Amino acid sequence: MASKAAAAAVDFTRIYSSLGLSKETVAALQAFRKRHGDAQRIQTQYASQPTTVDLAHYRSVLKNKAVVDEAEKILRDFKPVTYDVNAQIKAIETFEAKAVVKAKETTEKIDIELKDLQATLANIEDARPFEDLTAEEVGNAHPRIVEAVENMIKKGKWTVPGYKEKFGDLSLM
Amino acid sequence: MPQLIPFYFINQLSFSFLTLLALIYIISKYFLPLFTFQQVIRMYITKLNNK
Repeated sequence: MASKAAAAAVDFTRIYSSLGLSKETVAALQAFRKRHGDAQRIQTQYASQPTTVDLAHYRSVLKNKAVVDEAEKILRDFKPVTYDVNAQIKAIETFEAKAVVKAKETTEKIDIELKDLQATLANIEDARPFEDLTAEEVGNAHPRIVEAVENMIKKGKWTVPGYKEKFGDLSLM
Repeated sequence: MPQLIPFYFINQLSFSFLTLLALIYIISKYFLPLFTFQQVIRMYITKLNNK
Protein backbone atom coordinates (compact mmCIF):
# COMPACT_ATOMS: atom_id res chain seq x y z
CA MET A 1 0.00 0.00 0.00
CA ALA A 2 1.26 3.40 -0.94
CA SER A 3 0.28 4.99 2.38
CA LYS A 4 2.23 2.37 4.34
CA ALA A 5 5.31 2.91 2.18
CA ALA A 6 4.91 6.63 2.75
CA ALA A 7 4.55 6.10 6.50
CA ALA A 8 7.79 4.11 6.53
CA ALA A 9 9.64 6.96 4.86
CA VAL A 10 8.34 9.68 7.21
CA ASP A 11 11.04 11.80 8.76
CA PHE A 12 9.56 12.40 12.21
CA THR A 13 12.16 14.84 13.50
CA ARG A 14 11.39 17.09 10.57
CA ILE A 15 7.67 16.82 11.25
CA TYR A 16 8.14 17.79 14.91
CA SER A 17 10.37 20.74 14.18
CA SER A 18 9.36 22.26 10.88
CA LEU A 19 5.60 21.91 10.48
CA GLY A 20 4.64 24.09 13.44
CA LEU A 21 2.26 21.51 14.89
CA SER A 22 0.38 22.14 18.10
CA LYS A 23 1.65 20.66 21.37
CA GLU A 24 -1.19 18.12 21.58
CA THR A 25 -0.54 16.89 18.05
CA VAL A 26 3.17 16.43 18.72
CA ALA A 27 2.42 14.63 22.01
CA ALA A 28 -0.11 12.35 20.29
CA LEU A 29 2.35 11.63 17.50
CA GLN A 30 5.11 10.82 19.97
CA ALA A 31 2.81 8.55 22.00
CA PHE A 32 1.79 6.76 18.81
CA ARG A 33 5.41 6.31 17.79
CA LYS A 34 6.28 4.97 21.24
CA ARG A 35 3.41 2.50 21.10
CA HIS A 36 4.51 1.35 17.68
CA GLY A 37 8.14 0.96 18.83
CA ASP A 38 7.10 -1.01 21.92
CA ALA A 39 4.90 -3.33 19.86
CA GLN A 40 7.72 -3.89 17.38
CA ARG A 41 10.20 -4.61 20.18
CA ILE A 42 7.89 -7.11 21.88
CA GLN A 43 7.16 -8.78 18.55
CA THR A 44 10.87 -9.28 17.75
CA GLN A 45 11.47 -10.46 21.32
CA TYR A 46 8.83 -13.17 21.08
CA ALA A 47 9.67 -14.09 17.51
CA SER A 48 13.22 -14.92 18.57
CA GLN A 49 12.03 -17.40 21.23
CA PRO A 50 11.74 -21.11 20.28
CA THR A 51 8.26 -22.34 19.41
CA THR A 52 8.87 -26.09 19.62
CA VAL A 53 9.18 -28.32 22.71
CA ASP A 54 11.89 -30.98 22.72
CA LEU A 55 9.79 -33.85 24.09
CA ALA A 56 12.43 -36.49 23.40
CA HIS A 57 14.73 -34.66 25.78
CA TYR A 58 12.12 -34.72 28.56
CA ARG A 59 11.44 -38.41 27.85
CA SER A 60 15.09 -39.24 28.30
CA VAL A 61 15.40 -37.11 31.44
CA LEU A 62 12.16 -37.91 33.28
CA LYS A 63 11.31 -41.31 34.69
CA ASN A 64 7.57 -40.79 34.54
CA LYS A 65 6.90 -41.15 30.79
CA ALA A 66 3.14 -40.85 31.27
CA VAL A 67 3.51 -37.20 32.22
CA VAL A 68 5.49 -36.52 29.06
CA ASP A 69 2.90 -38.39 26.98
CA GLU A 70 0.12 -36.39 28.56
CA ALA A 71 2.02 -33.16 27.99
CA GLU A 72 2.57 -34.14 24.37
CA LYS A 73 -1.14 -34.86 23.95
CA ILE A 74 -2.11 -31.55 25.52
CA LEU A 75 0.43 -29.80 23.35
CA ARG A 76 -0.88 -31.47 20.20
CA ASP A 77 -4.47 -30.66 21.09
CA PHE A 78 -3.69 -27.08 21.93
CA LYS A 79 -5.06 -24.64 19.47
CA PRO A 80 -4.44 -20.92 19.90
CA VAL A 81 -7.54 -18.86 20.39
CA THR A 82 -8.31 -16.92 17.26
CA TYR A 83 -9.43 -13.35 17.56
CA ASP A 84 -11.56 -11.57 15.05
CA VAL A 85 -9.43 -8.55 14.30
CA ASN A 86 -11.51 -7.39 11.35
CA ALA A 87 -13.36 -4.86 13.48
CA GLN A 88 -10.07 -3.44 14.72
CA ILE A 89 -8.64 -3.39 11.20
CA LYS A 90 -11.74 -1.59 10.02
CA ALA A 91 -11.40 0.98 12.80
CA ILE A 92 -7.75 1.43 11.91
CA GLU A 93 -8.64 1.88 8.25
CA THR A 94 -11.29 4.48 9.01
CA PHE A 95 -8.79 6.22 11.28
CA GLU A 96 -6.21 6.09 8.49
CA ALA A 97 -8.67 7.52 5.98
CA LYS A 98 -9.52 10.30 8.43
CA ALA A 99 -5.86 10.97 9.07
CA VAL A 100 -5.14 11.13 5.34
CA VAL A 101 -8.01 13.56 4.79
CA LYS A 102 -6.79 15.71 7.68
CA ALA A 103 -3.24 15.60 6.38
CA LYS A 104 -4.47 16.74 2.97
CA GLU A 105 -6.38 19.59 4.57
CA THR A 106 -3.29 20.57 6.51
CA THR A 107 -1.13 20.52 3.39
CA GLU A 108 -3.65 22.72 1.61
CA LYS A 109 -3.65 25.12 4.54
CA ILE A 110 0.13 25.14 4.64
CA ASP A 111 0.25 25.74 0.88
CA ILE A 112 -1.98 28.78 1.27
CA GLU A 113 0.13 30.07 4.15
CA LEU A 114 3.27 29.48 2.13
CA LYS A 115 1.86 31.48 -0.76
CA ASP A 116 1.04 34.32 1.63
CA LEU A 117 4.51 34.21 3.08
CA GLN A 118 6.08 34.20 -0.37
CA ALA A 119 3.98 37.20 -1.34
CA THR A 120 5.16 38.95 1.82
CA LEU A 121 8.74 37.99 1.05
CA ALA A 122 8.43 39.34 -2.49
CA ASN A 123 6.96 42.51 -0.99
CA ILE A 124 9.92 42.86 1.34
CA GLU A 125 12.42 42.14 -1.41
CA ASP A 126 10.80 44.62 -3.79
CA ALA A 127 10.56 47.33 -1.15
CA ARG A 128 12.19 50.56 -2.20
CA PRO A 129 13.73 53.26 -0.05
CA PHE A 130 11.57 56.13 1.16
CA GLU A 131 13.23 58.53 -1.26
CA ASP A 132 11.90 56.59 -4.27
CA LEU A 133 8.30 56.42 -3.12
CA THR A 134 5.61 58.56 -4.71
CA ALA A 135 2.66 60.03 -2.84
CA GLU A 136 0.30 57.98 -4.99
CA GLU A 137 2.00 54.71 -4.03
CA VAL A 138 1.81 55.53 -0.35
CA GLY A 139 -1.85 56.44 -0.81
CA ASN A 140 -2.50 53.11 -2.53
CA ALA A 141 -0.74 51.26 0.24
CA HIS A 142 -2.63 53.12 2.98
CA PRO A 143 -6.13 54.07 1.82
CA ARG A 144 -6.74 55.43 5.34
CA ILE A 145 -4.48 58.37 4.53
CA VAL A 146 -6.54 59.21 1.44
CA GLU A 147 -9.70 59.09 3.55
CA ALA A 148 -8.12 61.28 6.21
CA VAL A 149 -7.11 63.86 3.59
CA GLU A 150 -10.63 63.85 2.12
CA ASN A 151 -12.04 64.44 5.59
CA MET A 152 -9.57 67.25 6.21
CA ILE A 153 -10.57 68.97 2.99
CA LYS A 154 -14.26 68.57 3.74
CA LYS A 155 -13.64 70.36 7.03
CA GLY A 156 -11.69 73.09 5.23
CA LYS A 157 -8.28 72.14 6.60
CA TRP A 158 -5.89 72.55 3.70
CA THR A 159 -2.62 72.55 5.58
CA VAL A 160 -0.87 70.07 7.84
CA PRO A 161 0.21 71.35 11.25
CA GLY A 162 4.01 71.32 11.57
CA TYR A 163 4.63 71.05 7.83
CA LYS A 164 5.75 74.64 7.34
CA GLU A 165 8.22 74.42 10.26
CA LYS A 166 9.70 71.23 8.93
CA PHE A 167 9.86 71.79 5.17
CA GLY A 168 9.65 75.56 4.82
CA ASP A 169 7.43 77.55 2.55
CA LEU A 170 7.86 78.95 -0.98
CA SER A 171 5.21 81.63 -0.71
CA LEU A 172 6.49 85.21 -0.71
CA MET A 173 3.59 86.60 1.27
CA MET B 1 -13.63 96.29 -30.16
CA PRO B 2 -16.76 94.43 -29.05
CA GLN B 3 -15.53 94.24 -25.47
CA LEU B 4 -16.05 97.93 -25.11
CA ILE B 5 -19.54 98.00 -26.61
CA PRO B 6 -22.09 98.15 -23.75
CA PHE B 7 -24.35 95.71 -25.57
CA TYR B 8 -21.90 92.88 -24.82
CA PHE B 9 -21.21 93.79 -21.21
CA ILE B 10 -23.80 91.44 -19.70
CA ASN B 11 -22.63 88.59 -21.90
CA GLN B 12 -19.02 89.09 -20.88
CA LEU B 13 -19.88 89.42 -17.23
CA SER B 14 -21.97 86.28 -17.16
CA PHE B 15 -19.38 84.21 -19.03
CA SER B 16 -16.51 85.45 -16.90
CA PHE B 17 -18.53 84.68 -13.78
CA LEU B 18 -19.31 81.16 -15.03
CA THR B 19 -15.71 80.55 -16.05
CA LEU B 20 -14.48 81.72 -12.67
CA LEU B 21 -16.91 79.44 -10.86
CA ALA B 22 -15.89 76.49 -13.03
CA LEU B 23 -12.21 77.21 -12.43
CA ILE B 24 -12.69 77.47 -8.66
CA TYR B 25 -14.63 74.22 -8.63
CA ILE B 26 -12.13 72.29 -10.75
CA ILE B 27 -9.07 73.57 -8.94
CA SER B 28 -10.46 73.04 -5.45
CA LYS B 29 -11.81 69.64 -6.34
CA TYR B 30 -8.98 68.15 -8.37
CA PHE B 31 -5.78 70.14 -7.92
CA LEU B 32 -5.57 71.71 -4.47
CA PRO B 33 -6.32 68.47 -2.57
CA LEU B 34 -3.24 66.99 -4.22
CA PHE B 35 -1.07 69.54 -2.44
CA THR B 36 -2.60 68.71 0.93
CA PHE B 37 -2.28 65.01 0.13
CA GLN B 38 1.36 65.47 -0.72
CA GLN B 39 1.99 67.37 2.51
CA VAL B 40 0.32 64.65 4.58
CA ILE B 41 2.28 61.91 2.80
CA ARG B 42 5.50 63.84 3.25
CA MET B 43 4.90 64.18 6.99
CA TYR B 44 3.95 60.50 7.19
CA ILE B 45 7.06 59.28 5.36
CA THR B 46 9.26 61.55 7.46
CA LYS B 47 7.75 60.17 10.65
CA LEU B 48 8.20 56.58 9.37
CA ASN B 49 11.77 57.29 8.37
CA ASN B 50 12.58 58.69 11.81
CA LYS B 51 11.25 55.60 13.58
